[in-house]
Amino acid sequence: MERHFFKELENLKMTILNMAALTQRALESATTAYLERDEQLGQTVIDGDKKINALELEVDQYTLKLLALEQPMAKDLRMILGTAKISNELERIADQAVNISERTQFLSKYPPLNSIPAMEQLIDVSLSMYKKAVSCFVNEDVKAAYEVRKMDDRADQYTLEVLQTLVEYMVKNTPATERRRLNTRRSIQTIIISRCLERVCDLSTNIGEHVAFITQGINIKHQGIDAEL
Amino acid sequence: MEKPNKIVAKHLDFFYGDFKALEDISVEFKKNKISALIGPSGCGKSTFLRCLNRMNDLIPGSAVKGEVYIDGEDIYGQNIDVVHLRRRVGMVFQKPNPFPKTIFDNVAYGLRVNGIKDRKIVAKRVEKSLRQAVLWDEVKDRLHSSALGLSGGQQQRLCIARALSVEPEVILMDEPASALDPIATQKIEDLIHELKKDFTIIIVTHNMQQAARVSDITAFFYMGRLVETGDTETMFTRPQLQQTEDYITGRFG
Repeated sequence: MERHFFKELENLKMTILNMAALTQRALESATTAYLERDEQLGQTVIDGDKKINALELEVDQYTLKLLALEQPMAKDLRMILGTAKISNELERIADQAVNISERTQFLSKYPPLNSIPAMEQLIDVSLSMYKKAVSCFVNEDVKAAYEVRKMDDRADQYTLEVLQTLVEYMVKNTPATERRRLNTRRSIQTIIISRCLERVCDLSTNIGEHVAFITQGINIKHQGIDAEL
Repeated sequence: MEKPNKIVAKHLDFFYGDFKALEDISVEFKKNKISALIGPSGCGKSTFLRCLNRMNDLIPGSAVKGEVYIDGEDIYGQNIDVVHLRRRVGMVFQKPNPFPKTIFDNVAYGLRVNGIKDRKIVAKRVEKSLRQAVLWDEVKDRLHSSALGLSGGQQQRLCIARALSVEPEVILMDEPASALDPIATQKIEDLIHELKKDFTIIIVTHNMQQAARVSDITAFFYMGRLVETGDTETMFTRPQLQQTEDYITGRFG
């Protein structure tokens, strides 16, 4: 007979995966809405955030219950502590998707800025890091956690490039006319989006670190990125 | 600073007749530390505990191979006075087993059989032991009433006081709280923490949370073998071996 507690653990894991799927959809929709200037799609991300917040509360309550009633040990204990942290990271990633969508609502009302290649690369790397982080949780794959962390360097580089491109653009166009002021406002909103994406990458890195803790009981936070198993 | 070893077992085998109940146990217990022995029923943890003060000698057909050292002296060596050994290595059992005597006489018993007759000394040692067992305040006004009138938890602390009266160095506890309610259990656990200052304690428990709460070192036994030993925090958060992990997370069998 399977222990009741193991079913509870499985339920907890499924709730996290559900949350991860909704967060992934939010992130994909937010970045698509930005690229395609789709206000309506952005609005679905903003509206959908409530569900993710509710799941975070559910995970909080569930983990507290399992800790209090089941007194888990070893990997079970690490799984419960780790999932509580991962749900927190997911909720924050979803908040970044909302933030991106809110900037998109503004940007979509005005003509687009020239395309910024680093921004598209940043979107790609953010989505890849996020997906890899979630799959490293699903497969309990610590190696993938290290790979996520290594990708974060690229994300930082692209974020910097977006910033440099837009600062240069603003310097050339500031201040004078109303049109130029609008250029500045659009640039700042875009920079904020790049910062949001950069945060998504950091939070995905954190998820990988939590997976290392869950699977092997090791703490790989705040180590150099070259640190290996 | 690392504590010195108090007890060291080396390649210890134990037989009940033909049945090998312990196989090749080598382990060290540090002075003034609490060590917990855990494992499923029949894994040999209580048998091992009883090897440490030669309580198993009393079982007909039993045999021991290997060595157990206390402060460097092999307790299975020649010229070992077993009565003296058991004075150094006291024991507390699962069920409280006070003698049908007064509270005072229970604690004084060990002193008297060891030839201490001076009333003042006996009274002093009884009080000291009852205080160490955190029972004094509850019984000081009825020292001469029957020990059987005490509650289960008080009886168990009385048995601990009785073990302490002869000033042992090591206390072996075989599931000392398993017959007690949660409040009495908590008192025993707090007491174990207190006693660590003066004694080396080895406790057998079926209750893993209890092992986690009270011990510094945990040793996991399975089918007569010592599978893994380590500091308790590591054993309960990230054990090294899958077998240990499976046992403490309830995935056994």
